[in-house]
Amino acid sequence: MASDERIRDIGLIRRSISRPELGSVFGLIIIVITFMTLTSISGTFGAMWLNPIGIQAWVELAAFVGILAIGASLLMIAGEFDLSMGANIALAGHSFAIFLLFGVPIELAIILTFIELAFLGFIIGVIVVRTGLPSFIVTLAFWFASRGFAVFLSQTFFNQSRLSVKANLKPPPGGGEDPTLIDNIFAFDKAFGVPFDAEVYYFIILVFIVAFITNRTPYGNWIYASGGDPVAARAVGVPVARVKISLFMISTSLACLLGILTVMTSGASDPKAGDFRELHAIAAAVIGGCALTGGYGSVVGAVLGALIFAIASRGINFVPFIDNNLFRVMLGMLILGSALLNQFLRDRIVKG
Amino acid sequence: MIPSIEFRGVSKFFGNIIALKDISFKVFKGEITALLGDNGAGKSTLIKLLSGVHMPSEGEILLSGEPVNFKSPRQAVSAGIGTVYQDLALQPLMSVTRNFFLGREITKGLFLNMPLMNTITKKEMAKLGIDVADPTQPIGTMSGGQRQTLAIARAIYFGANVLILDEPTSALGQKQQLEVLRTIKKVKELGDIAIIFITHNDMHAKLLGDRFAFLNRGKVLAEGSRDEIDMNNLRPLMAGGAELEKLETEFSGR
Repeated sequence: MASDERIRDIGLIRRSISRPELGSVFGLIIIVITFMTLTSISGTFGAMWLNPIGIQAWVELAAFVGILAIGASLLMIAGEFDLSMGANIALAGHSFAIFLLFGVPIELAIILTFIELAFLGFIIGVIVVRTGLPSFIVTLAFWFASRGFAVFLSQTFFNQSRLSVKANLKPPPGGGEDPTLIDNIFAFDKAFGVPFDAEVYYFIILVFIVAFITNRTPYGNWIYASGGDPVAARAVGVPVARVKISLFMISTSLACLLGILTVMTSGASDPKAGDFRELHAIAAAVIGGCALTGGYGSVVGAVLGALIFAIASRGINFVPFIDNNLFRVMLGMLILGSALLNQFLRDRIVKG
Repeated sequence: MIPSIEFRGVSKFFGNIIALKDISFKVFKGEITALLGDNGAGKSTLIKLLSGVHMPSEGEILLSGEPVNFKSPRQAVSAGIGTVYQDLALQPLMSVTRNFFLGREITKGLFLNMPLMNTITKKEMAKLGIDVADPTQPIGTMSGGQRQTLAIARAIYFGANVLILDEPTSALGQKQQLEVLRTIKKVKELGDIAIIFITHNDMHAKLLGDRFAFLNRGKVLAEGSRDEIDMNNLRPLMAGGAELEKLETEFSGR
């Protein structure tokens, strides 16, 4: 049999170049080196990179944004978008707090809140799939509606927009001030000597699970196909509509997890919780190599994107000679630069 | 021999439009039936009848001698009719293997059995004369002809014994067209597959066809085996014979 001269073997280097998270690996290296240099100059290197409290600052932010970015990247790979994630954090927090204040036991309150938010995701998904409206528009509507509904409920029932539930949470078993979900449900908090918030542990577990699902299951294949070419995917039997609806449910459920964790750690539900976080998560997904047009990207990339975002975001506080406002300028340029780099890398794959 | 597919007086109407009128032709396994016709001749309606997208308004379609009535594309596929559309239904950013098995993945427990799927992909592509060195590469790097082969190999692997190729050469460059023609010949050599090769390229039809059917304005103008059809008359038949003569007269009249 004649071998085909048009197919050539590609080596390990070329193959790794075609990984979607490549751009974000470079980005992360650059950001870490930049901030290590800047903190060395301002004499705060130890405070940011060695001190547990300094590490906590950016790791916890990375975990928070990263959990949302998991949902954002899955949706973007499937060619969809969820602007309502941040608002859904507030909705989840308020729902959870209201259940508690009505005397619902904490375990049941958690389950009810997850059901509520998953149902919301189902509704969003069905609207997007059935009407064919862009998910940008549909979730923009819920960006207003979710937070509005949360505050409306708390005003109606308790005549206040911020709900304190400290009295309804169990005190942590080891003593201490902040009850967390881990203290209440799983007692492995502070297991590693660094007192991270619960988000960090959930984040690490979720990343492994979701990365495995996207790369190694039929469902993962279908997510990519649904975003790449939905018509072609349907032609070979991929249930595109069901895949998309399930992803919106995952997105709202991740917001729910963060909403509940935020209430647990702070002892109160704030109507401003999660404000702008959807944009940070989308930024992380873009930095991580997801294409807005769908069909391309990776969850691992989005996770690296969240780390980049968090290091840049918190690191600026350790570098007093740079104006804090410059951070936003920098972040904007970072997103633009990453999107350009990722587009370049993506074109290389298609052209070979 | 019983034909794999037989159309008996099939018509299809869309409201007052007569898309196909009284179509009859036969397709045999191990043979290539070239279905020729100009744009608007009714070729795509015919494909849709075969692949279960539409149902005939009159007449009947026989599959291995048995009348069938496909209510959905899924039914047609499970009856062994594989359609390779012009757009191929492939995902350019996904790997060769993932494209091959998309929607019908092989799993080991919950997870994809990638080694097995890679092996099968390589084997099935090799049967059609394409050596895939690395089935994990994205198909964006493959040529148009190789992608066509992938779509054909996939249809065959998933049980097609009637293969409908919708203008497989029309969107390709010369060299890739030859690649695809070679692939189609390989499929024929497998021996147990009936191929319906839809084209408006009379050269390609002449090269590969064992049987021919000519569609013009919703009707079959001529049908028959290579011996029964005047091969040199292919082009005029395609353009509708008389119309071309009329055009010739018009041009020479200037």
